Amino acid sequence: MSDNKLNNLPVGFKGMAQDMGSDQTAFKGVQWGKVMMWIFLLSDTFVFSCFLISYMKGRASTVVDWPNTSEVFSLHVGSVPVPLLLIAIMTFVLITSSGTMALAVKYGYEKNRKMCGWLILATAIGGLTFVGMQVFEWSKLIHEGVRPWENPFGAKQFGSFFFMITGFHGTHVTIGVIFLFIYSRKVFRGDFDKGKRGFFTTMKSDYVAIEILGLYWHFVDLVWVFIFAFFYLW
Amino acid sequence: MHPGIIFLGVIVGSVLFHIFTPWWWTDIASNWGAMDDTINLTFWIGGGVFILVCLFMVYCIFMFSYKEGRNVEYKPEDHKLEKILTIATTLGVIALLAPGLIVYNNYINVPKNALQVEVNAWQWGWQYRLPGEDGILGTAQVAKITDDNPFGINLDDPNGKDDILIEDDVLHLKTDRPVKILLRSLDVLHNYYVPQFRAKMDAIPGIITYYWFEPNKIGEYEVLCAEYCGVGHYAMRAKVIVESEGNYENWIKEQETFSDLIAKQENNKLKKTLVAKTND
Amino acid sequence: MSDEYNQKNTPLEAQSSETMSGTSGASSKDIDYVRPAELPEQDLYHGHSFITKWIFCQDAKVIGIQYFLTAVFTGVVGLVLSWLMRLQLGYPDLVPFITAEHYYQFVTMHGMIMVVYFLTALFLGGFGNYLIPLMVGARDMVFPYVNMLSFWMFFIAVCVLMASFFVPGGPTGAGWTLYPPQAILPGTPGSNMGIILMLTSLSLFVIGFTMGGLNYIITILQARTRGMTLMRMPLTIWGIFTATALAMLAFPALLVSCIMMTLDKMLETSFFMPAILQAGEVLDYGGGSPVLFQHLFWFFGHPEVYIVALPAFGIVSDLISVHARKNIFGYRMMVWAIVGIGALSFFVWAHHMYVSGMNPWFGFFFATTTLIIAVPTALKVYNWIITLFRANIRMNTVMLFCLGFIVTFVNGGITGIFLGNVAVDIPLSDTYFVIAHFHMVMGIAPLMVIMGAVYHWFPLVTGRMLSEKLGKWHFWFTFLGAYSIYFPMHYLGFIGVPRRYYEMYDSPYVTSATGMNEFITVAALIVGFSQLIFIYNIVASLSIGKPAGKNPWKANSLEWLTPEVPPAHGNWGEKLPVIYRWPYDFNVPGAKEDYITQTTPPSEVINAEVEKT
Repeated sequence: MSDNKLNNLPVGFKGMAQDMGSDQTAFKGVQWGKVMMWIFLLSDTFVFSCFLISYMKGRASTVVDWPNTSEVFSLHVGSVPVPLLLIAIMTFVLITSSGTMALAVKYGYEKNRKMCGWLILATAIGGLTFVGMQVFEWSKLIHEGVRPWENPFGAKQFGSFFFMITGFHGTHVTIGVIFLFIYSRKVFRGDFDKGKRGFFTTMKSDYVAIEILGLYWHFVDLVWVFIFAFFYLW
Repeated sequence: MHPGIIFLGVIVGSVLFHIFTPWWWTDIASNWGAMDDTINLTFWIGGGVFILVCLFMVYCIFMFSYKEGRNVEYKPEDHKLEKILTIATTLGVIALLAPGLIVYNNYINVPKNALQVEVNAWQWGWQYRLPGEDGILGTAQVAKITDDNPFGINLDDPNGKDDILIEDDVLHLKTDRPVKILLRSLDVLHNYYVPQFRAKMDAIPGIITYYWFEPNKIGEYEVLCAEYCGVGHYAMRAKVIVESEGNYENWIKEQETFSDLIAKQENNKLKKTLVAKTND
Repeated sequence: MSDEYNQKNTPLEAQSSETMSGTSGASSKDIDYVRPAELPEQDLYHGHSFITKWIFCQDAKVIGIQYFLTAVFTGVVGLVLSWLMRLQLGYPDLVPFITAEHYYQFVTMHGMIMVVYFLTALFLGGFGNYLIPLMVGARDMVFPYVNMLSFWMFFIAVCVLMASFFVPGGPTGAGWTLYPPQAILPGTPGSNMGIILMLTSLSLFVIGFTMGGLNYIITILQARTRGMTLMRMPLTIWGIFTATALAMLAFPALLVSCIMMTLDKMLETSFFMPAILQAGEVLDYGGGSPVLFQHLFWFFGHPEVYIVALPAFGIVSDLISVHARKNIFGYRMMVWAIVGIGALSFFVWAHHMYVSGMNPWFGFFFATTTLIIAVPTALKVYNWIITLFRANIRMNTVMLFCLGFIVTFVNGGITGIFLGNVAVDIPLSDTYFVIAHFHMVMGIAPLMVIMGAVYHWFPLVTGRMLSEKLGKWHFWFTFLGAYSIYFPMHYLGFIGVPRRYYEMYDSPYVTSATGMNEFITVAALIVGFSQLIFIYNIVASLSIGKPAGKNPWKANSLEWLTPEVPPAHGNWGEKLPVIYRWPYDFNVPGAKEDYITQTTPPSEVINAEVEKT
């Protein structure tokens, strides 16, 4: 782009054009691992979008009535059915864990090992709680006769989409939890301070890795919000 | 031999093959000549581009083969040329798309006087259903198919009673009368394709698809399944006979309706009970 | 929050490439100025045992060769399957072993292997891994460990796929498009273990290529050397980069469709399965949509063909440019065309579904987008032939393959226009016209590029030249043979012969094609066997080929400018290269030689009238 055209662009675009037109890196000051996680998350977004769009298509063209989600997903407190109680708690837990993760990243960059380590651990436990509640929900529904191939409440596809989408999401959360436990150990051991080489990757550890894991964790949280909205609330 | 000669031979050979090929369209037997015309237009434009591009390439390899110290043009861009080429290509694309979309518009808008013919596809054969005197096909479902009800017609639907059922795979059609083919599949994807009619559409289990055409040449035509449906796909054939109105009416009179089928089955059941009673 | 990784915060003004090439008023002693390094040196893991040097190697060049060899192995399997198919079609009663079941299994495995395991893996995994770090001036990919894992994931995917040949029921015979419901019902061969293994293999492939693809994209975006702007990268990189971006966004749809079909088979869910009557009984499925699978599959499937085509476009541009000793005409337009084609490719998928029974009104939209995508593609073709005009063309094997690419690609591209126009597609869909089209444009044309690329880069990878004489024989057999297979095949489509037909059976006009079928079979066998010339050339040249030395083709791009040939681990020795220009400065007026490499500073070619890049 000629200098004239470049200078006439509004500020944000000018910076972007200069960055894209420059040598070495397109995203200035952003470590490659972060860019990699962003692009991976973009790809994973497409995976979940395909799941959710297929679900919407299946639900829109259902030949048999779709089950009433408020009834199916309610918990009994005493004798009072409270619709969507369990997932409300699950959502609260997951969003809180995103909060603890964000704090952990901040303390990580400040090299406050204790706070960082404990906050990562808190995030991991939040994630584990979420998965536990998801397992409880699965077992409750299975007990009531919901199967991937049929269910007593309505259209067959309800069970299929439910187990598939929440299963995929739950797997993502579980993988995140495993990494969170590993990272909290690394923080407490001081690996990120010393730049200790990873056991598998042989690369030097750096606090930016916690931010990268944080990106993944926020993504998993965001996907849950969409699942919650489309599957449970609709 | 200079490679340019061989490349030139390939282009000339392709053109000659096209002109003299014994393998060309089947004689068209329906109203969709417009599809053939659009294909011809595409041949002229597309074929023209192919020939021009390849001839230019051949010209270059003849004229500019490697010579030490050759004067080579260094011109990384030529905005004017690029603009002209873009506009010309866009015009070519529009020239192809516009007629194509007009023909397609006709394809998806079925004429009001089209006769409805339901084609049922299954692994690996065909059967047909016509709406009968009331002109309306009764609703039907795969789940309702039994030995007694091979088409799965809804017993509660009054429109289904006079439907004409054709269980063998020969369909007769009246010439010069538009026909709307309604496709239902009982199991997997199929496609009811008669090359001479040009039109086709997949049959999808779970929904009813359609296409229309107007046969205008009397004759017998082979139907080929045109969507892979398992090991019997290549053997899934049928026949369409296009005939005059008189012959068509004669054929219709001989066919069985759904109420005929029900009556025949009741009769058989009655006979069986009578036989059982007399044997007691 | 602060990102403490990058210590140097260079001011915005110095980042624009405009300010450093010396044309915006800087003083003459700055003409060689290149911005300082932003990033610290990459810290590579050097393997020392046999296993860490050759098996679980983290060097992208070794990984590239591993991908290449594995992909070629699967390609040979696919080639043999094609011979079996052609034997059946040309001489139906000759080989009793080829039953209808076996035929459909061959058709399916041939298709899936060639599209996914051969072409995609070869272009992205093979060429991508070897060339990307070299061409952008990096020492290796940014995450070598994950790169290594990605290859072994691909290898496992191939093993799972090959295993399906040996399970009860054999491999799936559902057609490479794997449409439900037939893919998982008993009327189709391999509908038990065969289809499960296929779906598993595809899922593993997607996961592996996501890992690899992340490396390719990030290395190109964030690990270029000093002076290497995006618009100074060779078109090979642009092609592979865009293709990888497509892969990241298209493979998810394939993964989702594979998962859903696996569940339909294993757990009897009904994602794609409506009410079905089989052997007189209504099955337990119901409510599902076969067309949903087609939308998901083709949302992947159409970008997939561009994932194969775009690297070919990029590579052929570089091959033509080097061997015609002329800059590629319209480089910027070429870049925008590649990116534009990539972006548009996400909006055309349903042109594979015109007769699928989807809402007919979609046909208008997709026919329009499909024909729009023809415009940037055509511009690329024009630019290739304009590059040849007033050039200085070396008529060697590499150039011959480039010319063969142009002929076959234009042919295949034009027949694509036939099929993209919805009204024309209706009589032609699911006939041999479609088979001829996609083989010409996706089989032959990219294969021409692959072969040309091997002749071009073999001297770099091995340090030896391939035999020109054998190369020319190989080219003419392959090009003329393949053209004679697929050009006449279009006409089989015109007479209405449907695809995926085991036998032509009794049809009067269809059996008129018997002679043509025999001819095509013989041609196919000849072309197949003539690849032995190629294999012999490669194997023999490894030991008796002429030593190539450095940069035997006198090319400009970075991969030829390493201190050692073949390049060693770490590529560049002590110092990373510094870039001063684009890779297309051939025959620049005023220059001494007919080429100026990317690492030549302006002060050394002060009399050359270079274009500012």
